[in-house]
Amino acid sequence: MRYLVGVGSYVAGDDAVGPRVVEHVTVNGLDRGFEAVDLSTDALSLVAYLSAETEAMLVVDAARLGLAPGDYLFFSPDEVETRKELSGLTTHEGDVLKVLEMARGAGYPIPPVAIMGIEPLEMESGIDLSGCLAERVPEYAAAAIERLAGL
Amino acid sequence: MSTTARIRVDHLTRVEGHGNIVVNVTDGVVEKCEWQVPEAPRFFESMVRGRHYSEVARITSRICGICSVGHTLASVKATEDALGIEVSAQSWKLRELLKHAENFDSHVLHINILVAPDLLGAPSVFPLVATHADVVARALRLKRLAHEWGSLIGGRTTHPMSVVPGGMAAVPTVKELKGLREQLLAAVPDLEAAIATVAALAPVVPVFDRPTEYIALSNDEDYGLYDGDIQSVLPDGTRQRYPVADYKQVTNEFVVPQSTAKYTKHKLDSYAAGALARFNNNYDRLHPEAKKVAESLGMQPLCTNPYMNTVAQAVEIVSDVYESLALLDELIATGVELEPLVEPTRYGSGAGATEVPRGILFHEYEYDDAGMCVSGNCIIPTNQNHNNIQYDFEKLVPELVAQGKSEKEMELALEMLVRSYDPCISCSTHYVDVKFVR
Repeated sequence: MRYLVGVGSYVAGDDAVGPRVVEHVTVNGLDRGFEAVDLSTDALSLVAYLSAETEAMLVVDAARLGLAPGDYLFFSPDEVETRKELSGLTTHEGDVLKVLEMARGAGYPIPPVAIMGIEPLEMESGIDLSGCLAERVPEYAAAAIERLAGL
Repeated sequence: MSTTARIRVDHLTRVEGHGNIVVNVTDGVVEKCEWQVPEAPRFFESMVRGRHYSEVARITSRICGICSVGHTLASVKATEDALGIEVSAQSWKLRELLKHAENFDSHVLHINILVAPDLLGAPSVFPLVATHADVVARALRLKRLAHEWGSLIGGRTTHPMSVVPGGMAAVPTVKELKGLREQLLAAVPDLEAAIATVAALAPVVPVFDRPTEYIALSNDEDYGLYDGDIQSVLPDGTRQRYPVADYKQVTNEFVVPQSTAKYTKHKLDSYAAGALARFNNNYDRLHPEAKKVAESLGMQPLCTNPYMNTVAQAVEIVSDVYESLALLDELIATGVELEPLVEPTRYGSGAGATEVPRGILFHEYEYDDAGMCVSGNCIIPTNQNHNNIQYDFEKLVPELVAQGKSEKEMELALEMLVRSYDPCISCSTHYVDVKFVR
């Protein structure tokens, strides 16, 4: 199985871009040959999709990459180091890269994984994406599907 | 002996956390001791205004990715109360099954990923991957089980789709329920091993007692995870119940200068919600298998050590599995069919409550005659615990000073205390922040 996974809070402005891409894929029936998963802010549940049967995984998430808001980049976990510091006070914080690192360490099979990082404009509380991201959601979905197929 | 300490664990500047620990001690005198929660308001109550009743739980579910089942259930129950809807016994049981899945999922995560490192002397879960890979791997297996368990009943575990006002929009087949039953039975060895780990670590749980008021849902039939009246138990064992509709008279929200999050209090200066509060209120109706585990872990009500909340969670994951096996047996025996959703019989206001992993959760809505939401209110358990954490700090810090603890030891003790509550304070954003290394 191949997975297209959206991570982020649906109600935190552009942080929702991952779940919004997944929503676009499922609502329009584009999830053919793969499963589209909205993990929202439950990043640790990524482990539920890691198994010997998992052929590939593409994670779509908002990412601070220094790009123009709305632009995106694909990269693999091996190409980056996370700069995120988790407080360690709560299970409610998340970092996809740390989850993959932990799963690898615990012996989980890690399939080919790519991350589609989309530069946010703002991540304040709110249910709408910024215009510059909202208008490009179909483009993000098409690019994500194409990348997942190539993994 | 340490008589002067300056502790500031400022998680606001560490990207996602929104809880600060600030302690100043000079010459043995505690000058400042605060649990601060300076998180930005998220305005969910305004997001639901003008929305149709069928949409409201979809929105409020997004309050939290870990507790999205609980928010969905509390929201739907409040809507059903407002709309005069009573769901079928089958829907009730399926929702209970889903509630257990969420509780199990969250507790497994909290015990193994957040608290175990403290008790094993590791700074976080990542060093444990090298030293205790079996513990981490088992936790991830149980987490995965919970995810599949919730997905079967809720359509998906994170932000479930099946639970809607009037019942369940989709139901599993009997064959699928039998499959889940087999999965739960197969997980019992992992469950027992997890409990054995907790038992081995229980002796190093910090000793600290502060009797407080404990508030949880309670009923006369079961442990009250999904439904019940509000019940308070005081340190002297006095119990009192209140209807959920009166939740504002129990929570009594107020503001404090040090935090943007609202605090609560009832009969005493503060009260606790969560696994320990449920254990203290509903021990008599705990599943026998869970009671056995509680006894083996040396737990009995009233337990007044907040660090033992984690041990109460371990007791609850046993309860979750065995209660769910019983529910599955009932559903398999009766069969399961897709039922028509119960239609509204009125439009007005109503309140709903359920227990989420961190404690009692309240939602309340008012709908107009077209079924559009006019107003909403939500009181999460973490906000009900902030005041209790503050009072814990105020008792604990002088004790730590008197014990001659160093700044680092005090800081760890306070962080562990906060972790024992597993506060829901970081569900705002989950973006990636990286630097390229090649």
